[in-house]
Amino acid sequence: MRHCEGDATRMGDNAIPLVVRDLHKSFNNVSVLEGLSLEAHEGDVISLIGASGSGKSTFLRCMNLLEIPNAGEIAVHGETVNFRTRRGKREPADWKQVERIRARLAMVFQGFNLWAHMTLIGNVIEAPIHVLGKSKKEAREQGMALLERVGLAERAEYFPAQLSGGQQQRGAIARALAMDPEVMLFDEPTSALDPELVGDVLKVMRGLADEGRTMVVVTHEMDFARDVSSQVIYLHQGRVEEAGHPENVFGNPNSDRLRQFLGPRF
Amino acid sequence: MIDFQGYGWRLLDGALLTAELAALSLVLALVLGLVVASIKLSRSYALRGLALVYTTVIRGVPDLVMMMLLFYGGQIGVNMVVDQINAWAGTEIFIYVNAFAAGVITLGVIYGAYMSETFRGAFLAVDAGQMEAARAYGMSGWLAFRRVRFPLMMRHALPGINNNWMVLLKSTALVSIIGLSDMVRIADQATKATHEPFLFMVPVGLGYLAITGVSELAVGWLRRRYDTGFEGAA
Repeated sequence: MRHCEGDATRMGDNAIPLVVRDLHKSFNNVSVLEGLSLEAHEGDVISLIGASGSGKSTFLRCMNLLEIPNAGEIAVHGETVNFRTRRGKREPADWKQVERIRARLAMVFQGFNLWAHMTLIGNVIEAPIHVLGKSKKEAREQGMALLERVGLAERAEYFPAQLSGGQQQRGAIARALAMDPEVMLFDEPTSALDPELVGDVLKVMRGLADEGRTMVVVTHEMDFARDVSSQVIYLHQGRVEEAGHPENVFGNPNSDRLRQFLGPRF
Repeated sequence: MIDFQGYGWRLLDGALLTAELAALSLVLALVLGLVVASIKLSRSYALRGLALVYTTVIRGVPDLVMMMLLFYGGQIGVNMVVDQINAWAGTEIFIYVNAFAAGVITLGVIYGAYMSETFRGAFLAVDAGQMEAARAYGMSGWLAFRRVRFPLMMRHALPGINNNWMVLLKSTALVSIIGLSDMVRIADQATKATHEPFLFMVPVGLGYLAITGVSELAVGWLRRRYDTGFEGAA
Protein backbone atom coordinates (compact mmCIF):
# COMPACT_ATOMS: atom_id res chain seq x y z
CA MET A 1 0.00 0.00 0.00
CA ARG A 2 1.37 3.35 -1.00
CA HIS A 3 -0.26 5.85 1.26
CA CYS A 4 2.12 8.57 2.15
CA GLU A 5 1.48 8.84 5.82
CA GLY A 6 2.76 12.20 6.96
CA ASP A 7 6.01 11.75 5.12
CA ALA A 8 6.92 15.35 4.37
CA THR A 9 9.96 14.58 2.27
CA ARG A 10 7.92 12.84 -0.40
CA MET A 11 6.05 15.99 -1.37
CA GLY A 12 9.15 17.33 -3.02
CA ASP A 13 10.18 14.05 -4.62
CA ASN A 14 10.74 14.78 -8.30
CA ALA A 15 10.42 11.14 -9.28
CA ILE A 16 6.79 10.83 -8.15
CA PRO A 17 4.28 12.16 -10.70
CA LEU A 18 1.55 13.01 -8.19
CA VAL A 19 1.54 13.26 -4.43
CA VAL A 20 -1.52 14.39 -2.51
CA ARG A 21 -1.43 14.65 1.23
CA ASP A 22 -4.08 15.12 3.86
CA LEU A 23 -6.64 16.83 1.68
CA HIS A 24 -9.65 18.40 3.37
CA LYS A 25 -12.58 19.96 1.58
CA SER A 26 -15.94 21.22 2.71
CA PHE A 27 -18.81 22.91 0.91
CA ASN A 28 -20.80 25.38 3.01
CA ASN A 29 -19.41 23.88 6.20
CA VAL A 30 -20.37 20.36 5.12
CA SER A 31 -17.21 18.32 5.20
CA VAL A 32 -16.75 16.25 2.03
CA LEU A 33 -13.11 15.19 2.23
CA GLU A 34 -11.51 14.44 5.57
CA GLY A 35 -7.81 14.00 5.17
CA LEU A 36 -7.26 12.05 1.96
CA SER A 37 -3.81 11.15 0.68
CA LEU A 38 -2.57 9.47 -2.44
CA GLU A 39 0.70 8.80 -4.18
CA ALA A 40 0.73 7.98 -7.88
CA HIS A 41 4.05 6.58 -9.05
CA GLU A 42 5.11 6.23 -12.64
CA GLY A 43 2.81 3.72 -14.34
CA ASP A 44 0.38 3.44 -11.45
CA VAL A 45 -3.31 3.06 -12.16
CA ILE A 46 -5.20 4.10 -9.06
CA SER A 47 -8.93 3.45 -8.97
CA LEU A 48 -11.12 5.45 -6.61
CA ILE A 49 -14.30 3.60 -5.81
CA GLY A 50 -17.16 4.27 -3.45
CA ALA A 51 -20.83 5.10 -3.27
CA SER A 52 -22.26 8.36 -4.61
CA GLY A 53 -21.40 11.17 -2.25
CA SER A 54 -18.34 9.40 -0.87
CA GLY A 55 -16.19 12.27 -2.17
CA LYS A 56 -14.28 10.43 -4.89
CA SER A 57 -15.06 12.93 -7.66
CA THR A 58 -14.35 15.89 -5.40
CA PHE A 59 -11.05 14.28 -4.45
CA LEU A 60 -10.13 13.95 -8.13
CA ARG A 61 -11.22 17.52 -8.91
CA CYS A 62 -9.06 18.82 -6.07
CA MET A 63 -6.02 17.24 -7.71
CA ASN A 64 -6.11 19.65 -10.65
CA LEU A 65 -7.64 22.40 -8.52
CA LEU A 66 -11.03 22.57 -10.15
CA GLU A 67 -11.97 22.52 -6.48
CA ILE A 68 -9.74 24.30 -4.03
CA PRO A 69 -9.05 22.11 -1.00
CA ASN A 70 -9.42 23.78 2.41
CA ALA A 71 -6.31 22.04 3.64
CA GLY A 72 -3.69 19.63 2.37
CA GLU A 73 -0.95 19.57 -0.18
CA ILE A 74 -0.58 18.62 -3.83
CA ALA A 75 2.69 18.11 -5.69
CA VAL A 76 3.29 17.18 -9.32
CA HIS A 77 6.76 15.78 -9.94
CA GLY A 78 8.02 17.63 -6.91
CA GLU A 79 6.37 20.97 -7.68
CA THR A 80 4.14 21.77 -4.72
CA VAL A 81 1.10 23.97 -5.28
CA ASN A 82 1.39 27.17 -3.28
CA PHE A 83 -1.61 28.36 -1.32
CA ARG A 84 -2.33 31.54 0.56
CA THR A 85 -5.21 32.69 2.74
CA ARG A 86 -7.19 35.73 1.74
CA ARG A 87 -10.13 37.07 3.74
CA GLY A 88 -10.24 33.78 5.55
CA LYS A 89 -10.42 31.76 2.33
CA ARG A 90 -7.66 29.53 1.06
CA GLU A 91 -6.74 30.01 -2.56
CA PRO A 92 -3.79 29.26 -4.85
CA ALA A 93 -1.09 31.88 -4.46
CA ASP A 94 -0.11 31.75 -8.11
CA TRP A 95 -2.71 31.00 -10.78
CA LYS A 96 0.02 30.71 -13.41
CA GLN A 97 1.39 27.80 -11.45
CA VAL A 98 -2.07 26.25 -11.27
CA GLU A 99 -2.45 26.55 -15.04
CA ARG A 100 0.96 24.96 -15.52
CA ILE A 101 0.09 22.07 -13.24
CA ARG A 102 -3.33 21.55 -14.81
CA ALA A 103 -1.70 21.25 -18.22
CA ARG A 104 0.38 18.37 -16.86
CA LEU A 105 -2.66 16.55 -15.45
CA ALA A 106 -5.10 16.09 -18.32
CA MET A 107 -8.64 15.34 -17.26
CA VAL A 108 -11.35 13.23 -18.84
CA PHE A 109 -14.85 14.17 -17.67
CA GLN A 110 -17.99 12.18 -17.10
CA GLY A 111 -19.87 14.45 -19.50
CA PHE A 112 -17.01 14.51 -22.07
CA ASN A 113 -17.00 18.33 -22.21
CA LEU A 114 -15.56 18.46 -25.69
CA TRP A 115 -15.75 22.06 -26.92
CA ALA A 116 -18.94 22.07 -28.93
CA HIS A 117 -17.92 24.73 -31.44
CA MET A 118 -14.73 22.97 -32.50
CA THR A 119 -14.25 19.88 -34.64
CA LEU A 120 -12.83 16.77 -33.04
CA ILE A 121 -9.31 17.48 -34.31
CA GLY A 122 -9.84 21.12 -33.29
CA ASN A 123 -10.55 19.94 -29.75
CA VAL A 124 -7.44 17.76 -29.73
CA ILE A 125 -5.04 20.46 -30.95
CA GLU A 126 -6.57 23.41 -29.05
CA ALA A 127 -4.63 23.22 -25.79
CA PRO A 128 -1.37 21.91 -27.32
CA ILE A 129 -1.31 25.00 -29.56
CA HIS A 130 -2.61 27.67 -27.20
CA VAL A 131 -1.41 26.35 -23.85
CA LEU A 132 1.71 24.34 -24.69
CA GLY A 133 2.71 26.58 -27.59
CA LYS A 134 3.13 23.85 -30.18
CA SER A 135 3.04 24.70 -33.86
CA LYS A 136 -0.20 24.02 -35.72
CA LYS A 137 1.49 21.53 -37.98
CA GLU A 138 3.09 19.54 -35.20
CA ALA A 139 -0.08 19.56 -33.08
CA ARG A 140 -2.15 18.41 -36.02
CA GLU A 141 0.18 15.55 -36.91
CA GLN A 142 0.22 14.32 -33.32
CA GLY A 143 -3.51 14.90 -32.99
CA MET A 144 -4.32 12.82 -36.07
CA ALA A 145 -2.10 10.00 -34.80
CA LEU A 146 -3.98 10.07 -31.48
CA LEU A 147 -7.37 10.03 -33.18
CA GLU A 148 -6.12 7.08 -35.21
CA ARG A 149 -5.23 5.39 -31.98
CA VAL A 150 -8.68 5.80 -30.44
CA GLY A 151 -10.26 4.73 -33.74
CA LEU A 152 -11.63 8.11 -34.79
CA ALA A 153 -9.28 9.28 -37.56
CA GLU A 154 -12.06 9.39 -40.14
CA ARG A 155 -14.19 11.47 -37.74
CA ALA A 156 -11.55 14.19 -37.29
CA GLU A 157 -13.60 16.92 -38.96
CA TYR A 158 -16.86 16.05 -37.19
CA PHE A 159 -18.29 18.22 -34.45
CA PRO A 160 -19.01 16.69 -31.02
CA ALA A 161 -22.78 16.93 -31.59
CA GLN A 162 -22.38 14.64 -34.60
CA LEU A 163 -20.69 11.89 -32.58
CA SER A 164 -22.03 9.22 -30.23
CA GLY A 165 -21.23 9.41 -26.53
CA GLY A 166 -18.62 6.70 -26.83
CA GLN A 167 -16.94 8.45 -29.74
CA GLN A 168 -16.99 11.74 -27.84
CA GLN A 169 -15.37 10.11 -24.82
CA ARG A 170 -12.68 8.46 -26.93
CA GLY A 171 -12.14 11.85 -28.55
CA ALA A 172 -11.85 13.39 -25.10
CA ILE A 173 -9.20 10.80 -24.24
CA ALA A 174 -7.30 11.76 -27.39
CA ARG A 175 -7.56 15.40 -26.28
CA ALA A 176 -6.08 14.44 -22.92
CA LEU A 177 -3.28 12.40 -24.52
CA ALA A 178 -2.39 15.33 -26.76
CA MET A 179 -1.13 17.13 -23.66
CA ASP A 180 1.32 14.28 -23.09
CA PRO A 181 0.25 14.45 -19.45
CA GLU A 182 2.24 13.14 -16.54
CA VAL A 183 -0.93 11.87 -14.90
CA MET A 184 -4.34 11.36 -16.48
CA LEU A 185 -7.38 12.03 -14.33
CA PHE A 186 -10.59 10.19 -15.24
CA ASP A 187 -13.83 11.31 -13.61
CA GLU A 188 -16.33 8.47 -14.09
CA PRO A 189 -15.51 8.30 -17.80
CA THR A 190 -18.12 5.65 -18.64
CA SER A 191 -20.98 6.67 -16.35
CA ALA A 192 -22.78 8.79 -18.95
CA LEU A 193 -22.51 6.19 -21.71
CA ASP A 194 -25.02 3.70 -23.05
CA PRO A 195 -23.99 0.21 -21.92
CA GLU A 196 -22.99 -0.93 -25.41
CA LEU A 197 -20.56 1.98 -25.75
CA VAL A 198 -18.76 1.43 -22.45
CA GLY A 199 -16.58 -1.38 -23.81
CA ASP A 200 -14.82 0.72 -26.46
CA VAL A 201 -13.87 3.39 -23.96
CA LEU A 202 -12.63 0.86 -21.41
CA LYS A 203 -10.60 -0.84 -24.11
CA VAL A 204 -8.81 2.42 -24.86
CA MET A 205 -8.19 2.93 -21.14
CA ARG A 206 -6.80 -0.59 -20.72
CA GLY A 207 -4.45 0.14 -23.60
CA LEU A 208 -3.23 3.27 -21.82
CA ALA A 209 -2.65 1.33 -18.62
CA ASP A 210 -0.72 -1.33 -20.54
CA GLU A 211 1.62 1.24 -22.05
CA GLY A 212 2.43 2.49 -18.57
CA ARG A 213 0.39 5.68 -18.35
CA THR A 214 -0.03 7.00 -14.84
CA MET A 215 -3.75 7.26 -14.20
CA VAL A 216 -6.15 8.12 -11.41
CA VAL A 217 -9.62 6.83 -12.24
CA VAL A 218 -12.89 7.48 -10.45
CA THR A 219 -15.07 4.61 -11.58
CA HIS A 220 -18.04 2.40 -10.99
CA GLU A 221 -16.62 -0.24 -13.35
CA MET A 222 -15.49 -2.82 -10.81
CA ASP A 223 -14.09 -5.20 -13.42
CA PHE A 224 -11.88 -2.45 -14.74
CA ALA A 225 -10.79 -1.46 -11.23
CA ARG A 226 -9.98 -5.06 -10.36
CA ASP A 227 -8.19 -6.03 -13.59
CA VAL A 228 -6.29 -2.88 -14.46
CA SER A 229 -5.50 -1.03 -11.23
CA SER A 230 -2.27 -1.21 -9.34
CA GLN A 231 -4.10 0.22 -6.35
CA VAL A 232 -7.73 0.56 -5.36
CA ILE A 233 -8.94 3.12 -2.83
CA TYR A 234 -12.41 2.69 -1.37
CA LEU A 235 -13.83 5.92 -0.01
CA HIS A 236 -16.64 6.31 2.44
CA GLN A 237 -17.89 9.70 3.63
CA GLY A 238 -14.72 11.48 2.69
CA ARG A 239 -12.34 9.01 4.29
CA VAL A 240 -10.34 6.06 3.06
CA GLU A 241 -12.20 3.04 4.30
CA GLU A 242 -9.92 0.54 2.65
CA ALA A 243 -7.09 0.68 0.15
CA GLY A 244 -4.56 -1.62 -1.38
CA HIS A 245 -3.84 -3.98 -4.22
CA PRO A 246 -7.04 -4.93 -6.09
CA GLU A 247 -6.50 -8.61 -5.27
CA ASN A 248 -6.79 -7.82 -1.57
CA VAL A 249 -9.45 -5.15 -1.82
CA PHE A 250 -11.73 -7.23 -3.99
CA GLY A 251 -10.66 -10.71 -2.95
CA ASN A 252 -10.43 -10.22 0.77
CA PRO A 253 -12.08 -7.00 1.93
CA ASN A 254 -11.63 -6.19 5.60
CA SER A 255 -14.43 -3.70 5.96
CA ASP A 256 -18.06 -4.73 6.14
CA ARG A 257 -19.03 -1.62 4.28
CA LEU A 258 -16.76 -2.46 1.37
CA ARG A 259 -18.11 -6.03 1.31
CA GLN A 260 -21.60 -4.61 1.17
CA PHE A 261 -20.61 -2.12 -1.53
CA LEU A 262 -19.04 -4.76 -3.72
CA GLY A 263 -22.01 -7.07 -3.37
CA PRO A 264 -22.12 -10.84 -3.81
CA ARG A 265 -20.26 -10.84 -7.12
CA PHE A 266 -16.82 -10.40 -5.62
CA MET B 1 -36.57 60.85 -61.38
CA ILE B 2 -38.17 62.18 -58.22
CA ASP B 3 -37.56 65.87 -57.55
CA PHE B 4 -36.49 66.31 -53.94
CA GLN B 5 -36.70 70.08 -54.34
CA GLY B 6 -33.09 70.61 -53.41
CA TYR B 7 -33.19 68.44 -50.26
CA GLY B 8 -31.80 65.29 -51.94
CA TRP B 9 -28.15 65.63 -50.91
CA ARG B 10 -29.00 66.86 -47.44
CA LEU B 11 -31.25 63.86 -46.96
CA LEU B 12 -28.40 61.57 -48.00
CA ASP B 13 -26.07 63.36 -45.58
CA GLY B 14 -28.69 62.82 -42.90
CA ALA B 15 -28.87 59.11 -43.75
CA LEU B 16 -25.09 58.87 -43.47
CA LEU B 17 -25.17 60.57 -40.08
CA THR B 18 -27.88 58.18 -38.90
CA ALA B 19 -25.82 55.18 -40.02
CA GLU B 20 -22.63 56.49 -38.40
CA LEU B 21 -24.39 57.40 -35.18
CA ALA B 22 -26.07 53.98 -35.01
CA ALA B 23 -22.88 52.04 -35.82
CA LEU B 24 -20.70 53.86 -33.30
CA SER B 25 -23.39 53.69 -30.60
CA LEU B 26 -23.65 49.96 -31.27
CA VAL B 27 -19.92 49.47 -30.73
CA LEU B 28 -20.06 51.40 -27.46
CA ALA B 29 -23.20 49.54 -26.35
CA LEU B 30 -21.59 46.15 -27.11
CA VAL B 31 -18.41 46.98 -25.19
CA LEU B 32 -20.35 48.40 -22.24
CA GLY B 33 -22.75 45.47 -22.33
CA LEU B 34 -19.94 42.92 -22.23
CA VAL B 35 -18.17 44.70 -19.39
CA VAL B 36 -21.33 45.18 -17.32
CA ALA B 37 -22.45 41.58 -17.93
CA SER B 38 -19.06 40.35 -16.77
CA ILE B 39 -19.33 42.52 -13.68
CA LYS B 40 -22.81 41.17 -12.94
CA LEU B 41 -21.42 37.64 -13.08
CA SER B 42 -18.36 38.52 -11.02
CA ARG B 43 -17.92 37.98 -7.31
CA SER B 44 -17.47 41.64 -6.37
CA TYR B 45 -20.45 42.72 -4.32
CA ALA B 46 -19.83 46.47 -4.74
CA LEU B 47 -19.36 46.33 -8.52
CA ARG B 48 -22.44 44.16 -8.91
CA GLY B 49 -24.43 46.75 -6.99
CA LEU B 50 -23.22 49.53 -9.29
CA ALA B 51 -24.09 47.49 -12.37
CA LEU B 52 -27.57 46.84 -11.00
CA VAL B 53 -28.14 50.56 -10.41
CA TYR B 54 -26.97 51.29 -13.95
CA THR B 55 -29.28 48.83 -15.69
CA THR B 56 -32.24 49.60 -13.42
CA VAL B 57 -32.05 53.36 -13.91
CA ILE B 58 -31.34 53.29 -17.63
CA ARG B 59 -33.96 50.71 -18.48
CA GLY B 60 -36.58 52.29 -16.25
CA VAL B 61 -36.36 55.81 -17.65
CA PRO B 62 -37.62 56.73 -21.15
CA ASP B 63 -34.89 57.00 -23.77
CA LEU B 64 -35.88 60.56 -24.59
CA VAL B 65 -35.65 61.73 -20.98
CA MET B 66 -32.31 59.96 -20.63
CA MET B 67 -31.10 61.53 -23.81
CA MET B 68 -32.05 65.08 -22.82
CA LEU B 69 -30.55 64.54 -19.39
CA LEU B 70 -27.25 63.21 -20.73
CA PHE B 71 -27.16 65.57 -23.69
CA TYR B 72 -27.87 68.83 -21.91
CA GLY B 73 -26.73 67.72 -18.50
CA GLY B 74 -23.55 66.29 -20.02
CA GLN B 75 -22.17 69.69 -21.03
CA ILE B 76 -23.02 71.19 -17.65
CA GLY B 77 -21.49 68.22 -15.87
CA VAL B 78 -18.31 68.46 -17.91
CA ASN B 79 -18.16 72.20 -17.23
CA MET B 80 -18.47 71.65 -13.50
CA VAL B 81 -15.68 69.10 -13.47
CA VAL B 82 -13.45 71.23 -15.70
CA ASP B 83 -14.13 74.32 -13.55
CA GLN B 84 -12.98 72.41 -10.50
CA ILE B 85 -9.81 71.40 -12.29
CA ASN B 86 -9.28 74.96 -13.53
CA ALA B 87 -9.73 76.38 -10.05
CA TRP B 88 -7.33 73.82 -8.62
CA ALA B 89 -4.66 73.98 -11.31
CA GLY B 90 -5.09 77.61 -12.34
CA THR B 91 -5.71 76.66 -15.97
CA GLU B 92 -8.38 77.92 -18.36
CA ILE B 93 -9.56 74.78 -20.07
CA PHE B 94 -12.96 74.56 -21.73
CA ILE B 95 -14.21 71.28 -23.13
CA TYR B 96 -16.98 71.56 -25.66
CA VAL B 97 -19.22 68.50 -25.84
CA ASN B 98 -19.61 67.79 -29.53
CA ALA B 99 -23.26 67.03 -30.36
CA PHE B 100 -22.41 63.93 -32.36
CA ALA B 101 -20.17 62.52 -29.64
CA ALA B 102 -22.86 63.28 -27.07
CA GLY B 103 -25.37 61.39 -29.19
CA VAL B 104 -23.08 58.36 -29.49
CA ILE B 105 -22.36 58.32 -25.78
CA THR B 106 -26.02 58.74 -24.85
CA LEU B 107 -27.23 55.96 -27.12
CA GLY B 108 -24.29 53.75 -26.22
CA VAL B 109 -24.92 54.14 -22.50
CA ILE B 110 -28.65 53.46 -22.89
CA TYR B 111 -28.28 50.39 -25.07
CA GLY B 112 -25.28 49.14 -23.13
CA ALA B 113 -27.77 48.46 -20.33
CA TYR B 114 -29.97 46.34 -22.57
CA MET B 115 -26.96 44.59 -24.10
CA SER B 116 -25.61 43.72 -20.66
CA GLU B 117 -28.76 41.76 -19.89
CA THR B 118 -28.58 40.02 -23.26
CA PHE B 119 -24.95 39.04 -22.64
CA ARG B 120 -25.61 38.00 -19.06
CA GLY B 121 -28.32 35.60 -20.14
CA ALA B 122 -26.11 34.29 -22.95
CA PHE B 123 -23.16 33.68 -20.61
CA LEU B 124 -25.43 31.76 -18.25
CA ALA B 125 -26.70 29.63 -21.13
CA VAL B 126 -23.23 28.23 -21.85
CA ASP B 127 -22.80 24.75 -20.39
CA ALA B 128 -20.51 25.03 -17.35
CA GLY B 129 -18.60 21.91 -18.43
CA GLN B 130 -17.21 23.77 -21.43
CA MET B 131 -15.40 26.30 -19.25
CA GLU B 132 -14.41 23.62 -16.80
CA ALA B 133 -12.66 21.75 -19.60
CA ALA B 134 -10.91 24.97 -20.64
CA ARG B 135 -9.61 25.48 -17.11
CA ALA B 136 -8.69 21.83 -16.68
CA TYR B 137 -6.48 22.08 -19.78
CA GLY B 138 -4.46 24.92 -18.34
CA MET B 139 -6.06 27.84 -20.15
CA SER B 140 -5.69 31.24 -18.51
CA GLY B 141 -8.83 33.26 -17.85
CA TRP B 142 -8.41 35.42 -20.93
CA LEU B 143 -7.55 32.53 -23.24
CA ALA B 144 -10.56 30.53 -22.02
CA PHE B 145 -12.78 33.58 -22.54
CA ARG B 146 -11.49 34.21 -26.05
CA ARG B 147 -11.45 30.61 -27.28
CA VAL B 148 -14.35 29.02 -25.41
CA ARG B 149 -16.69 31.26 -23.44
CA PHE B 150 -17.11 34.11 -25.92
CA PRO B 151 -17.77 32.05 -29.08
CA LEU B 152 -20.19 29.75 -27.25
CA MET B 153 -21.96 32.69 -25.62
CA MET B 154 -22.40 34.59 -28.90
CA ARG B 155 -24.68 31.91 -30.26
CA HIS B 156 -27.15 32.65 -27.48
CA ALA B 157 -26.61 36.41 -27.56
CA LEU B 158 -27.12 37.06 -31.28
CA PRO B 159 -30.93 37.16 -31.38
CA GLY B 160 -30.99 39.60 -28.46
CA ILE B 161 -28.18 41.72 -29.91
CA ASN B 162 -30.06 41.92 -33.19
CA ASN B 163 -33.22 43.05 -31.39
CA ASN B 164 -31.38 45.69 -29.41
CA TRP B 165 -29.64 46.89 -32.53
CA MET B 166 -32.95 47.41 -34.37
CA VAL B 167 -34.35 49.43 -31.47
CA LEU B 168 -31.10 51.38 -31.16
CA LEU B 169 -31.14 52.23 -34.85
CA LYS B 170 -34.64 53.63 -34.60
CA SER B 171 -33.79 55.50 -31.42
CA THR B 172 -31.26 57.52 -33.37
CA ALA B 173 -34.30 59.44 -34.65
CA LEU B 174 -34.57 60.92 -31.16
CA VAL B 175 -31.34 62.83 -31.64
CA SER B 176 -33.12 65.01 -34.20
CA ILE B 177 -34.98 66.48 -31.25
CA ILE B 178 -31.76 67.47 -29.52
CA GLY B 179 -30.31 69.13 -32.57
CA LEU B 180 -28.40 66.64 -34.69
CA SER B 181 -29.14 66.74 -38.42
CA ASP B 182 -29.97 63.10 -38.94
CA MET B 183 -32.25 62.07 -41.78
CA VAL B 184 -35.42 62.45 -39.73
CA ARG B 185 -34.60 66.06 -38.88
CA ILE B 186 -33.78 66.92 -42.50
CA ALA B 187 -36.98 65.30 -43.71
CA ASP B 188 -38.92 67.13 -41.02
CA GLN B 189 -37.49 70.48 -42.15
CA ALA B 190 -38.16 69.66 -45.80
CA THR B 191 -41.72 68.62 -45.06
CA LYS B 192 -42.41 71.83 -43.19
CA ALA B 193 -40.99 73.91 -46.04
CA THR B 194 -42.69 72.07 -48.92
CA HIS B 195 -45.80 70.52 -47.31
CA GLU B 196 -44.97 67.21 -48.98
CA PRO B 197 -44.71 64.64 -46.18
CA PHE B 198 -44.78 61.58 -48.44
CA LEU B 199 -42.01 62.85 -50.65
CA PHE B 200 -39.63 62.96 -47.66
CA MET B 201 -40.93 60.59 -45.01
CA VAL B 202 -41.29 57.56 -47.28
CA PRO B 203 -37.62 57.73 -48.37
CA VAL B 204 -36.65 58.11 -44.72
CA GLY B 205 -38.59 54.96 -43.86
CA LEU B 206 -36.92 53.17 -46.77
CA GLY B 207 -33.56 54.45 -45.57
CA TYR B 208 -34.04 52.74 -42.19
CA LEU B 209 -35.17 49.58 -43.96
CA ALA B 210 -32.05 49.67 -46.12
CA ILE B 211 -29.83 49.84 -43.03
CA THR B 212 -31.66 47.01 -41.28
CA GLY B 213 -31.59 44.99 -44.51
CA VAL B 214 -27.82 45.22 -44.72
CA SER B 215 -27.49 44.45 -41.02
CA GLU B 216 -29.67 41.35 -41.42
CA LEU B 217 -27.11 40.04 -43.90
CA ALA B 218 -24.34 40.61 -41.39
CA VAL B 219 -26.36 38.97 -38.61
CA GLY B 220 -27.03 36.00 -40.89
CA TRP B 221 -23.32 35.59 -41.47
CA LEU B 222 -22.60 35.81 -37.73
CA ARG B 223 -25.35 33.32 -36.97
CA ARG B 224 -23.83 30.78 -39.36
CA ARG B 225 -20.43 31.37 -37.84
CA TYR B 226 -21.50 30.90 -34.22
CA ASP B 227 -23.87 28.02 -35.00
CA THR B 228 -20.92 25.97 -36.22
CA GLY B 229 -21.04 22.64 -34.44
CA PHE B 230 -24.66 23.10 -33.37
CA GLU B 231 -26.47 22.51 -36.66
CA GLY B 232 -29.51 20.42 -35.93
CA ALA B 233 -28.78 20.52 -32.21
CA ALA B 234 -31.09 22.27 -29.78
